[in-house]
Amino acid sequence: MSMKQKDLAKAYLANQIGRREFLARTASLGVSAGAAGVLLNAVATEALAAGSVDFQKHKGKAIKLLLNKHPYVDAMIKNIENFKAMTGLAVTYDIFPEDVYFDKVTAALAAKSTQYDAFMTGAYQTWKYGPARQIVDLNQFIKDPKLTADEYDWNGIFPSLRESTAWDGKAGSKLGGPGAKQWAVPWGFELNSVTYNRKVFDDLKITPPENLPDLIEKAKKINGSGKGMYGVGVRGSRSWATIHPGFLSAYANYGEKDFDVQEGKLKPAMNSAGSKAFHKMWVDMIKQAGPKNWSNYTWYEVGTDLGAGKSGMIFDADILGYFMNGAGNKEAGNLGFQAFAPNPKAQNATPNVWIWSLAMSEFSKNKEAAWFFIQWATGTPNTTFGATQADLVNPVRKVVWDNPDFQARLEKSYPGYLKQFQASIMNSRIYFTPQQLFPDFTTEWAAMLQQMHAGQVPVDEGLDKLAEGLERKLRAVGL
Amino acid sequence: MSGTLIVNAARGVASTQRSRARQRWLPYLLSLPALLVCIGILIPFFTAVWYSLERYNLSFPDQRAFIWFGNYLNLFTDPAFWNTVRISLAYTGLTVGVQLLFGLAIALLLQRRHWINDLMSVLLILPLMVAPAIASLMWKLMTNPNFGVLSYLVGRLGFPDFGWSSNPNSALFTVVLVDTWVYTPFITILLLAGLRALPRQPFEAAELDGVPASFVFFRITLPMLMPYILTASLFRMLDSIQQFDIIYSMTQGGPGDTLTVFQVQAYLEAFSFSNIGRSAALVMILWAITYALSTVFIKQWLKLRANARGQG
Amino acid sequence: MNKALLFKLLRALALIAVALFFLFPILWVFMMSFMTNVDILRSPPSPIFTPTLDNYRGLLTGQLATGTGTLTTDYTTNLFNSFVLSASAVILSLLLGVPAAYAFARFKFRLGEDMAFTLLSFRFAPPILVLLPLQLYFQEIGLYDTYVGLVWVYQLITLPLILWIVRGYFEDISPDIEHAYRLDGHSWLKTFLKIAIPLARPGIAAAGLLAFIFAWNNFVFALILGSSAVQPVTVGALAFVTASGIQYGVIAAALVLSVVPTLTLALYAQRYLVEGLSLGAVKG
Repeated sequence: MSMKQKDLAKAYLANQIGRREFLARTASLGVSAGAAGVLLNAVATEALAAGSVDFQKHKGKAIKLLLNKHPYVDAMIKNIENFKAMTGLAVTYDIFPEDVYFDKVTAALAAKSTQYDAFMTGAYQTWKYGPARQIVDLNQFIKDPKLTADEYDWNGIFPSLRESTAWDGKAGSKLGGPGAKQWAVPWGFELNSVTYNRKVFDDLKITPPENLPDLIEKAKKINGSGKGMYGVGVRGSRSWATIHPGFLSAYANYGEKDFDVQEGKLKPAMNSAGSKAFHKMWVDMIKQAGPKNWSNYTWYEVGTDLGAGKSGMIFDADILGYFMNGAGNKEAGNLGFQAFAPNPKAQNATPNVWIWSLAMSEFSKNKEAAWFFIQWATGTPNTTFGATQADLVNPVRKVVWDNPDFQARLEKSYPGYLKQFQASIMNSRIYFTPQQLFPDFTTEWAAMLQQMHAGQVPVDEGLDKLAEGLERKLRAVGL
Repeated sequence: MSGTLIVNAARGVASTQRSRARQRWLPYLLSLPALLVCIGILIPFFTAVWYSLERYNLSFPDQRAFIWFGNYLNLFTDPAFWNTVRISLAYTGLTVGVQLLFGLAIALLLQRRHWINDLMSVLLILPLMVAPAIASLMWKLMTNPNFGVLSYLVGRLGFPDFGWSSNPNSALFTVVLVDTWVYTPFITILLLAGLRALPRQPFEAAELDGVPASFVFFRITLPMLMPYILTASLFRMLDSIQQFDIIYSMTQGGPGDTLTVFQVQAYLEAFSFSNIGRSAALVMILWAITYALSTVFIKQWLKLRANARGQG
Repeated sequence: MNKALLFKLLRALALIAVALFFLFPILWVFMMSFMTNVDILRSPPSPIFTPTLDNYRGLLTGQLATGTGTLTTDYTTNLFNSFVLSASAVILSLLLGVPAAYAFARFKFRLGEDMAFTLLSFRFAPPILVLLPLQLYFQEIGLYDTYVGLVWVYQLITLPLILWIVRGYFEDISPDIEHAYRLDGHSWLKTFLKIAIPLARPGIAAAGLLAFIFAWNNFVFALILGSSAVQPVTVGALAFVTASGIQYGVIAAALVLSVVPTLTLALYAQRYLVEGLSLGAVKG
């Protein structure tokens, strides 16, 4: 790129010229809007490289990434040349379909594979990989001024996200508390809210739901409206994925907890009176206004139904609604977004979050080089690029949310999304108690929900059984 | 002349001696390569056996210890384990039984040489060519109450929507259905090839004698076909009792605990719960059950073969 | 006369019912491969739609247009991998298994049955049991992420199958012809190649085809024991189950493409599968 283009980019980044002027003047130089985005990013990356860190330290070496087939990865690949230019590293990646991705990661880590240096993960998985000593505590890199540039702005990532990906490994400790190890760096995240079909709501003259009882009423109305739709879509498969989105967000909003900590030991708390009442409400909601074959429902089915106009709304990840509002779906452009506090007595929403993060393998032979990658991928230039030019949504940095290009893009194609986010973010974090048996207990919880829904076991009895079983498992491993 | 005779006789003796010697080592020569190539798997196998005797959970590396049969005792006293055994055996029994009957019937239907039959016998292999995990995905879509063509047809025919794999009462039926759709062709091919390998003579004789068709089937065809039926059932049994793809893709072992067969549970234990020791123990039990069942099959197969040879 | 006609009718009906059950889903998938996602997800489902070649185009060129941009796909690589792995595994298994099957069928030798059962027992090992240790060892001996390593592991699936099916065949073929041939002065090798194998062709064809199909449909070994470079179509097709939606049309197209090689093989092998009837003339 020419010096003139670079100067323009620098001026824009330094807020010396406005966006319209930048675009107009680059256009007059023959640069398309998309290329202008890349240009901005390249210059920002250069700024990053010009700081105190020697990013060329491992020039000529190679790193290999294990990645999930995901829009965030697509966004990163579009921009990867900037990273390669900045560090002189050769980057290769293995991409696996999401359905089998975590199997691959678990197997690679269990076999102490030196093949992969860094990989994508969620926070919950680090509760296994961390104690298993398979991933690296990244604090040592973040706090090292020789390896982390000032511009990186670690604190610019939402505090709740930074905390949610840090744990000291002791059962019952708060996430992000003192002594917590930073197992992964947040890259993109999802919070839970309601996405609804505006057309249907307008037709039936109903407003977006204010709380859970309200949602249930409106969902029943949609069910009975003769449009061939059902009211609300939520997940129901026999997996942790059923518990963590809308379900746990609502659970937490009602003040319920998964575990109590008594004398340093975890005690399951899902059989409290409040929890039992909540479960009854949730199961009834599904029976009266949820999908017919709910126990088959995963992320995909919930989204597909909304996108194809079979459900009136979903209470799930906001990004799922975002994707379903895009081209290729029948209801594209018809979806609205609403922050959601299920508890009528609650002031604000308490969305549980899923954080796609980047972690470093303990068995990597190029840890510093891997850190350079993680730093760049989660840094401001790349996440800005991803949010404005691709689908790295939700961005983990406030500065990206404040970016006028990003906001313009959202308002244009996903009206209401920004508002929903701003109303939800303040209490968005992980509401689970961290412990290594997370997969066990969420899978059993989901299986129990299925049994309650099918009427195989009454709610009260089911929850008592669940709590008992989990307590036994915890004692067996000394938690 | 007598000299040539003697030489020939000598040659004959020498060649018989040679062939007797060859008779001793030839079979080993022919079969050992196969054995040697596969023998490597014993190392990972014994490693897995070792794991099953350990308390080995990746998330608790400091608790790793040798606990003899602790994992096994744990499993035997766990009602969830017995559920797994029951479901796995039920699934195996149903799939093998249904597919055997179905496969045999279809093979009989197609055995005559005719272009339709020949075409059909190739087309019918198509379901087998679909990877079971993808077949599951497709059947899931077909039985989806909103967009599924099967749900739609069932509704049109006046039946109530019964939830297919999402309902605990019909989940087993649904996965057995998918399994049958995928694997019946396996049995059909084997039995068809078997039927075509049967000697013509008994059938021609029966026709000449005017023997009724049912007699021919039960007294001639079936007994001669029995070894093939056993082989086909054996392999189907091995696959069914180890079934993972179809069930996991459809319901991940749900709804509730209705389909937590051996390999699904073992997979969850190893890959989700990181409990390598318990997973290994579970699969070792599966291996033992498979071993026992196969021994029964093989003994029966060998007996049939010996009888056939005795009569032949 | 009526009875014969009735039977004919029943046969035809039975055939149609069977064809409907097994082939309707295949036909429906084939149709889906020409539909867009919006058409597939129509409620109620409808056979009327505007056909599109986008699914196939996306798969074959490697660039798929989705709602959220272009997805790069590797499906042609997956097809290639599947083919290499399955064909190599089956050829190796045939080379190892057919002679062994012959040995077990013709010779009663000490340890014979034990060896045969041992070879069968490799099928008893559920993949989950050996996966993690296998990965560990493969990494140590450098077989991780290699075709050789995978073809070797695939023997666990293909060899027992070929061995036991072909053995059954050899057992059924009367040894008389072979004896006659030998007495004419031919070596056992010639007998094996010129008499035994041709006679057992239907069995070998059936076993080879089935082994190919099972190897083709396997996915867990390649997934765990290799990188993206060696993944077969079974893993590759799952790439269209994405966070931004399941691309049913593309999966259907992927399925159709993956079935083509095995179908071709089946059509070719069919000639041998139906040969059986001429066999009967030879048996006593």
